[in-house]
Amino acid sequence: MLWVMLLAPLVGAILNGLLLRKAPKLVSHLVAIAAMAIAFAAAVSMFLEMMHSGGEAKTFLAFDWLDAGGFHAPFKYVVDRLSGLMMLVVTGVGMLIHIYAGGYMHEEVTTYRFFAYLNLFVFMMLQLVMADNLMVMFVGWEGVGLCSYLLIGYWFHDDKNAAAGMKAFLVNRIGDIGFLIGIFLTYKYFGTVSFTELRQLIGHEPLDAVKIGAIGWITLCMFVGATGKSAQLPLYIWLPDAMAGPTPVSALIHAATMVTAGVFMMTRLNFMYYLSPSTMHVVAIIGGLTAFFAATIAIVQSDIKKVLAYSTVSQLGYMVMACGVGAFDAGVFHLLTHACFKALMFMAAGSVIVAMHHEQDMFKMGGLRKYMPVTHFVFLIGVLAIIGMPPFAGFFSKDEILWKAYIGGGPLLWGIGVVTAGCTSFYMVRLLCLTFYGAHRGAHHDDHAAHGHADHKKQDDHKAHGDAHGHGDSHTPHETGMDMWGPLVVLAALSATVGLLGVPHALGGHNLFAEYLEPIMLIPEAAKEHWEFLEATYSHTLEMGLMASSVVVMLIASFTAIKLYGGGPAPVLTKWRTSCSGVYNTLSNKYFVDEFYVANIVTPVREIAEFLWAFVDVKIIDGAVNSAGEICRFIAGTVSFKMTGSIHRHAMVLVVGLVCALSVLVFN
Amino acid sequence: MQLINSYILSFLVFMPLVAAFAVFLSPSTAVARWVAMGSSILVFLGGLHVWYWFDGSSPALQFVESYDWIPTFGVKYILGVDGLSLLLVVLTTFLLPLVLLSQWHIDNPRQKTFLALLLALESGMIGALAAMDVVFFYVFWEAMLIPMYFIIGVWGGKRRIYAATKFILYTVLGSLLMLAAAVLLYFAHFRQNGVYSTSLLDLYSVRLPVSEQMWLFTAFAVAFAIKVPMWPFHTWLPDAHVEAPTVGSVLLAGVLLKMGTYGLLRFAVPLFPEAMVVAAPILIFCGVVGIIYGALTAWVQKDAKKMVAYSSVSHLGFVVIGTFAVMAGGELNVEALTGATYQMINHGISTGALFFLVGVIYERRHTRQLSDFGGLAENMPWFATLLIIATLSSVGLPGTGGFVGEFLILIGVFQAMPIAAMFASLGVLLGAVYMLTLCRKILFGPLDNPENKVLKDLNARELGYLVPLAVLAIVMGIFPNAFMGKTKPAIEHLAKHYKNYSLDYKMGYDMSDKSAN
Repeated sequence: MLWVMLLAPLVGAILNGLLLRKAPKLVSHLVAIAAMAIAFAAAVSMFLEMMHSGGEAKTFLAFDWLDAGGFHAPFKYVVDRLSGLMMLVVTGVGMLIHIYAGGYMHEEVTTYRFFAYLNLFVFMMLQLVMADNLMVMFVGWEGVGLCSYLLIGYWFHDDKNAAAGMKAFLVNRIGDIGFLIGIFLTYKYFGTVSFTELRQLIGHEPLDAVKIGAIGWITLCMFVGATGKSAQLPLYIWLPDAMAGPTPVSALIHAATMVTAGVFMMTRLNFMYYLSPSTMHVVAIIGGLTAFFAATIAIVQSDIKKVLAYSTVSQLGYMVMACGVGAFDAGVFHLLTHACFKALMFMAAGSVIVAMHHEQDMFKMGGLRKYMPVTHFVFLIGVLAIIGMPPFAGFFSKDEILWKAYIGGGPLLWGIGVVTAGCTSFYMVRLLCLTFYGAHRGAHHDDHAAHGHADHKKQDDHKAHGDAHGHGDSHTPHETGMDMWGPLVVLAALSATVGLLGVPHALGGHNLFAEYLEPIMLIPEAAKEHWEFLEATYSHTLEMGLMASSVVVMLIASFTAIKLYGGGPAPVLTKWRTSCSGVYNTLSNKYFVDEFYVANIVTPVREIAEFLWAFVDVKIIDGAVNSAGEICRFIAGTVSFKMTGSIHRHAMVLVVGLVCALSVLVFN
Repeated sequence: MQLINSYILSFLVFMPLVAAFAVFLSPSTAVARWVAMGSSILVFLGGLHVWYWFDGSSPALQFVESYDWIPTFGVKYILGVDGLSLLLVVLTTFLLPLVLLSQWHIDNPRQKTFLALLLALESGMIGALAAMDVVFFYVFWEAMLIPMYFIIGVWGGKRRIYAATKFILYTVLGSLLMLAAAVLLYFAHFRQNGVYSTSLLDLYSVRLPVSEQMWLFTAFAVAFAIKVPMWPFHTWLPDAHVEAPTVGSVLLAGVLLKMGTYGLLRFAVPLFPEAMVVAAPILIFCGVVGIIYGALTAWVQKDAKKMVAYSSVSHLGFVVIGTFAVMAGGELNVEALTGATYQMINHGISTGALFFLVGVIYERRHTRQLSDFGGLAENMPWFATLLIIATLSSVGLPGTGGFVGEFLILIGVFQAMPIAAMFASLGVLLGAVYMLTLCRKILFGPLDNPENKVLKDLNARELGYLVPLAVLAIVMGIFPNAFMGKTKPAIEHLAKHYKNYSLDYKMGYDMSDKSAN
């Protein structure tokens, strides 16, 4: 079953990418969906089998991969509670997105490339989550980066998209170097990269100070990898640009699955992270700051996908923060709920964008509730989930994180989390209002090319071909077909209910989710003391109090947003914008982080490179080489003038010279 | 079988040379190309034969043929392969048919000569890899230069004479140093053992004081460093590549450069072990500088071929650091050494493919300026696919051969010199910077140049020589053991015993009773 699940997407990718290039669009879509359906079915069956046997971990060996000296890394996979959960998310949400993508990509001329990349992505993501050692995880880790690169730049005709893809790949590679060095250190100090063996060595056996010190560095290096993949400070900059890709890609890769890889990795290695409290501090702080920082940027964005992108960065910050305070289960729980509601919102936003003829500016939308009732409804559920309205999914997962942040990280960390939650409620309700409520602000669609985004021009061109997606006849936005809203309804149902898996004890639940993941968490003996608060009985009143205060903050923020944006943007906003232009500009320019990097890293390195080539290489080294040549020529010219040039004399000189040289060598 | 095994290496070395004469003398280009292709395929099959029958459980030199050549001076005709040279020999025989296929459509009066030179070059390359006598090796080492000189100097671009001269002078300078050092070693062997011998197997037994080793090591190391080329001896390479015709670049990058890294492993390390240990930090430093320097200079190139050429400087830097990872206990690091030998092959495949691909668009557009291209993914989807695969292998994405090599080198060097490995890791990032820039400039962006709009995708012949390389790049990344398996004992032997190096050997006629494994 494992092999079926792993290989189905790969076969799909190969079929679409290499063999079926000339096939009709419908075929490539069906192949991709079939691959995902098979993978999902296999995943469900494996999951049930695992739960049936009490959640025991089972490993599967494919074949040997790297084997040199003492280093050994086979293609080996593990099905346990953590990877079992992840495989359901990846194949399940993945399948829904694949179904939706057919409708979204309807206007494309060819889609084989798109579905090949998408299937390949799922294959790589499964490598990442099913891996039983760091190397296989790294295969997936870089593999998903590759697919992300290819998909962001899918509409490669616009250099902007190609640039965004490249940026994503390169920024991720910075993180990957951290990951690599983490692997090097792991091998150096523990002689293995297998999770099973590491768990045994670190979790159950006594360690000396050197090894504990090494674990500190290992976890820190791996966390650098996580900041790349999971878009944390200071490497988050690629994710907003990644929105250049088609929206299903944003939903699948840049919201539900790939970007959570960092959280997954830290959870996989939780026994190492528990051992290094100093790394954990860094993780918690970075997570909290990222959550807050990104949320503030999201408040002023006007592009619907950009809001969702910064929101994703911010939510990932929550998950990372949870890991940092030792609540890996809460992090994974939020990963799960976020996968549902963010994938939902991205795809719903995609429907909106299609309906608006590829307009992404929310200020040109409004009133879409009338035209797109289903999309409006599911989006509303997504928003309720993310802002943490009880009893929707986000309420449980987010409050679990905030609660753990309070007891594990203190009131300050909790405070950051709550303020972020307020920002989240504000920008999400703002998005909802600007898009679906008020009056429709869209221009009449009498000139398609004028407001189609440049990068979608190609598609607009194809509208002329009478592509019947309802574009030709009507200029008003309209609801999408069932192939698109169907998956959304499923995700909406999940967003509404999946939180119930983790109802906390304080509310009379059992937190089934934490119980489910319990066997994955392993606090080594040496670290037990530091993390004992996780085991302690909680004060229910405190938890209830914190919960109540975050709900109040959420409600206040939401009502503020409704007040300001409920009937279209309130006039007072323009006044504020001018009076606080400094703050506004900083936020809407994303704190000028990109500009800072370009000015202080990219440009100087480029200048150094130019200097190395144009000066060191061409002038110094080659200059020396050429002048050596000139000197030789000069000497040769002078000497040959003095010599007669007869072959005899040359031969004589050569022989004498050689003899002299050799005698010196032999007799010294 | 016994008969084949007894002479298989002589066949691999001299068959191409014989074929070269036949090609040169053949009545027409059509005949010439068939003769060339036929013989190169035969040689490739011979290479596969060697690989198949090679005993992968032994570090010994195998398929050995040994005859006296100049008995007075103790010069011998010795051929043999071990785990260090096995894959390089097979790679060489594999590349030649592809190279010839890429030349299939060219029909002009000089083409016969060109094909003959390619075959002669093959002969020189295999000879240098298989020769186990210093004099014999030196003959092939120099013999390789001659066809390459003409390939660049006659069939090259505008500045071909400058490039060819620079190539030859640089290399000859190194070779002369090596020759002088070899002569010294020869006399040292005589002093020690009372007999004259130029056989490498005998010379391995020479024990020199460290002070003398230093001089000889330096001479050998410089000779090979120029060939690699190791920073700062690399400036001949971009010129040679830019001026060389496509297949010249493919063979230069694919095999000729590996002669340098191979020479380091075969000669410099085991002959002068103590000196090597002293010099290792310097060499690693140069290697790391080469990795970063090569990558940065590649990034600012405007000519696609020059970019790939500088990328070689960076990639070969990895091989160099992998070769000299001396552990605290005095042994060489096995992971790094394995990675280095593997990376030689990978680089041959991926960079060979890249040069071919640049050649494809050069042939269509007669320009290699990146700014002249853009959006080719639109009308050349197969070209795009293959360029991306070659790029991925070049940047060392897991699942490609490039990753296996680079990763093993880095993890090995990290055990020996963590700081060096961390700086070298930057090459992983910088490699992606310039290669993705290359892809973006050529494949992506708007297809707005009218001259590019009419370009045709790869034809069957082009796919014929590119697809095998792309497939191999991936297969080597997923099933590395299929390739490294047989080289393991030899690598471990060198890593552990290089200070007291000796090589057992199995004569060719003894090979037949060994079952392949």
